[in-house]
Amino acid sequence: MGRRNGTAWAFIAFPLAILAVFVLIPTVVGLSLSLFQWSGGPLWTQADGWRLPVWVGLDNLTRMASDPRIGAGLRNTLIFVVASVPPTVLIAFALAVLLDAEWFRGRALIRTMVFMPTIVSIVAIGFVWRWVLDDQAGLLNWILSLVGVTDPPRWLVEGWWPLTWIIIVAVWRGIGFCVVLYLAALQAVPKSLYEAAALDGAHRFQVIRHITWPMVRPMTAFLLITGVIGSLQVFDLVFIMTGRTETLRTTVLNLEIYRNFTYGSYGYAAAIGVLIFALTAIVTAGQLAWFGRGGAR
Amino acid sequence: MSDSAFHRPPLVLRILAHVIAYGIALTMLVPFLWMVLTSLKTDIEAGQPPTLATLLPQHGWQWDNYRAAMSGGRLGHFYWMSITVAAVTTVLAVTHNAMAGYAFAKLRFSGKRIAFWLTLVTMMLPIQVFFIFAYVICSWIGYVDNFQALVVPFLASGFGVFYMRQAISSVPDDLLDAARIDGMGEFDIVWMVVRPIVWPSISALGIFSFVNSWNSFFWPLIVIDSIEKKTLPLAIADLANNMYFSAWPQTMAAGTILVLPLVIVFFIAQRAFVRGVAMTGMKE
Repeated sequence: MGRRNGTAWAFIAFPLAILAVFVLIPTVVGLSLSLFQWSGGPLWTQADGWRLPVWVGLDNLTRMASDPRIGAGLRNTLIFVVASVPPTVLIAFALAVLLDAEWFRGRALIRTMVFMPTIVSIVAIGFVWRWVLDDQAGLLNWILSLVGVTDPPRWLVEGWWPLTWIIIVAVWRGIGFCVVLYLAALQAVPKSLYEAAALDGAHRFQVIRHITWPMVRPMTAFLLITGVIGSLQVFDLVFIMTGRTETLRTTVLNLEIYRNFTYGSYGYAAAIGVLIFALTAIVTAGQLAWFGRGGAR
Repeated sequence: MSDSAFHRPPLVLRILAHVIAYGIALTMLVPFLWMVLTSLKTDIEAGQPPTLATLLPQHGWQWDNYRAAMSGGRLGHFYWMSITVAAVTTVLAVTHNAMAGYAFAKLRFSGKRIAFWLTLVTMMLPIQVFFIFAYVICSWIGYVDNFQALVVPFLASGFGVFYMRQAISSVPDDLLDAARIDGMGEFDIVWMVVRPIVWPSISALGIFSFVNSWNSFFWPLIVIDSIEKKTLPLAIADLANNMYFSAWPQTMAAGTILVLPLVIVFFIAQRAFVRGVAMTGMKE
């Protein structure tokens, strides 16, 4: 077949244009904006003349270093990532292994149930959990009172409890997605491996540890990497569950980007974006190295 | 673990495994049941600490809460906004992504490598980095606070193009060549030959796009200012923040209304749905 430049470009021109205008160019400009001070708006107006971004060099960066909200946001984001991603993946792996057992009854039902939170809007999830954790009439405090806990903390207000609950809800929401992917990965493990292990007299848990777990390692790597990348960008859940109280104990980097953006500090917001971008790159590179070259494929 | 080679574990272990799995699954369901139950209670009932006797609504099922949420919060209007945005985006995006995917999978042309590389790159860029200038561009071309801002940037996606390219790659070349010899144009080939073959992938991508659009929060929060033009999640977030503490039943009714369409679609098209959401597993 010869080249079909006309047809091919007719097919890809519009999608490429969309990606260029709304993703590629904004990324390049967005990264550069971290070195400027700007509050958007038209670059030139009849009344005011030119209103260009002002070069400030590394000022945004030094300002970030001494900004307590950024420090807190960075700390909380990292806590969120470390405390939410590994448990999600591990619980999902355990559950998938159980569901995959031949003697398990009701696999489809369980898969449907754990998948539910994945499709539900984070807005609904945030409000449902706020209601479950309500001081007066919440479901959780009632259940706790049944087992004798009479003086529970105010879950979404006191100390580190809000962040703890944000993490728990994130794990709760993330499990279903990982289970579905793990179940698919488990299908691909050759049965002969299990049979060989059985002949060698391996114990059930040894098989999980030494055959199942290594065989689904690429999926684990994938889930950890995408999980960490997604979690570094956490926003909606915090935004909804804290009711925008924005305390230093719950703020995350992305929330600080949003805040500064709404104040019109585009350059500063962009600088925080660069921080998230750098974290993402470092963590991804580190994880890929950890899982070995080609581990995520 | 498919372990025909193993003896079944002892009954106690099997029961324990079921209890754990069903226990986890139940915690996934209970908050939503609690949401629906609350949505059917009176304000006073809902505000009291629950007891076993008051788990179910005691004073009749308050369907009025739904009416109140719909009319008070004018959710009908926002429903229409969200459905329009999601439907238009899905249909157009899947079409564009499939056509570009076909070009990348089956056509030879100049600039293919660089074009495909740029498409892949967009998949890896976090929105935190590009949303600021994307917003500025939208403001320059008059999209801010407009329907277009919710639709146009999503009319193609790097992931969608890549996914369709992978799906279309499996279509046999002989089939396409035969169609060309019969005198079909490339567009007809996509529509009449390729589309039926990759339909499962198209529907999966369609559901994926629809869910993403329906649930999207960050970008609409950025580009939409006036109340009139908000999407359903934004409207409900506002509504719930306004009546926080005062009217949990209406909030929960609104939440149920928000969740219902996707849950219904989920149960009707579960296979395509799971494939659609799980396909993000192919992103790497």
